Amino acid sequence: MKKQWLSIALGVVTAIGGFLDAGTVATAGEAGAKFGLGLIWAILAATLAVMLLVEMVGRFTAVSKKTYADAIREDFGFRFYLLPLTSELIAESLLLAAEIGGVAIALSLFTGIPWHTLFPFVALFIWILAWRAPFDLIENGPALLGLVTLSFLAGIVALGGIPAHLLPTLWHPNFQRGSVADYLYLVAAIIGSTISPYLLYFYSSGAREERWSRRSLVLNRVTAIVGMGFGSIGSMALLVLGAIVLQPLQISSNTLGELGLAMAKPFGITGSFLFASALFATCLGAALEVLLAVSYNIAQGFGWEWGENKKPVEAARFNLVMTIFLLIAAAIGLIGIDPLQLALFASTVIALFLPISLSPFLILMNDPQYLGNKTNGRFTNIAVICILLLAFLVALVSLPLEIITGGG
Amino acid sequence: MWRKSGTWLGLMLLLSVLSGCNVTESTFARTASNAGSAFAAAATTLTYAHEDKITYAYAASSFVNFQSELSGTDQALTAQSAVDTRTLHHLLTLYKPAIQVINAPCLSGACNWRSQIEVLNRASQALLKAGNS
Repeated sequence: MKKQWLSIALGVVTAIGGFLDAGTVATAGEAGAKFGLGLIWAILAATLAVMLLVEMVGRFTAVSKKTYADAIREDFGFRFYLLPLTSELIAESLLLAAEIGGVAIALSLFTGIPWHTLFPFVALFIWILAWRAPFDLIENGPALLGLVTLSFLAGIVALGGIPAHLLPTLWHPNFQRGSVADYLYLVAAIIGSTISPYLLYFYSSGAREERWSRRSLVLNRVTAIVGMGFGSIGSMALLVLGAIVLQPLQISSNTLGELGLAMAKPFGITGSFLFASALFATCLGAALEVLLAVSYNIAQGFGWEWGENKKPVEAARFNLVMTIFLLIAAAIGLIGIDPLQLALFASTVIALFLPISLSPFLILMNDPQYLGNKTNGRFTNIAVICILLLAFLVALVSLPLEIITGGG
Repeated sequence: MWRKSGTWLGLMLLLSVLSGCNVTESTFARTASNAGSAFAAAATTLTYAHEDKITYAYAASSFVNFQSELSGTDQALTAQSAVDTRTLHHLLTLYKPAIQVINAPCLSGACNWRSQIEVLNRASQALLKAGNS
């Protein structure tokens, strides 16, 4: 019993620490700097959606003993499986490049060495970790370090809380001339960065790595609801900091380092280091998760041996895919596009492909052959339909908005 | 075939509605706003560096990113110019010394960092104003 509570506590803590990544940091900071508190609703809506999806994918894997990718291929056939796989490969290669860039920028903020110089070394470090480290370390290590994101809350308190003049921006955002498209673009990017399908593939595969069963359902529910719920606090706190500090200075947070100024104002050098540490931990954790999620997806879909706890020689093709995918992302990153811009672009591309990745949920989660008596109830099905409608809407507008706003 | 055409038509319609109803900025306004915001961020970074709120390394790293973001802005403004020649000339006159500060910021106490902050703020305000007008 004590062991189960420890697992639950660790699950919640890692979900909180692992919630943010380059995409959520970029979108939250820019949203606060440009529109005050006017986009908090988008973070809340996306968090609610991701809580439901993570709970479902965890329940599915715990009961059926199959991962999400396994089930898509088995139930919909190989041809259909190639659709979400292709969309994953395109969107996540961009996101992985942004995450590696995020780690490089964090190290650059500590050392002063340009991030372009650090980028290849960070890619190598991530490859070594993914190649050799056991699953528990990858899942829990960066996420525990990521708890430093809670210092953003302390930053708000140290600045005297949310000023009264900002509160009306909750329902009436600051629209400057011609900024409606920017606002809509950020809504799509926030949803795309929060409901990243890689999270679902990683969570599902992690549940198999840890041999979840029906007895893990409580752990799954608490991790999904409490962990993800509290995890979004870091994202919202960053948005609020952007609104309090950066907006009055007319800084629209076009680079990741600018966001750290919001923490430097209340805490000085310690604050800027807390921000750089948070950026390092969240981007490192996300880079490992994205890399593994794609490798899991491919290995499971093609029926290859897979597992982070297996020696590379025991799951050779899984590890080969991991290496090739990292090389592709590193090549994208080496072009030199700013990681924040890349993260925003990746978030809109993810938003564009969301319906493809999420559609199978509605069928799989109602199949008693997989779930027995644990299929979705009416409320959960309505929620999935709402999420899918949201995903379709976001997919429809994300591309035109990317074009007309020039990427925020 | 029809469905595909319908989707594209819908996308084009949405694009034209969004760009035609003044819900989006012109390319010139966007370039000017982004540059104004970046110069404002640079001025704050330089101020914080001298108030010991951030380290030398943090400021140096930030300025490398400002360089990437701001280089070529003068050419972009000239190419997309939606303002009269006098305003454009005024913006470029403020841009040139400001980009020099970005390329060689005074991060030690041995040079006149206060005047650099003034240069950055002047360019920032003018560009933000041009972006919003």
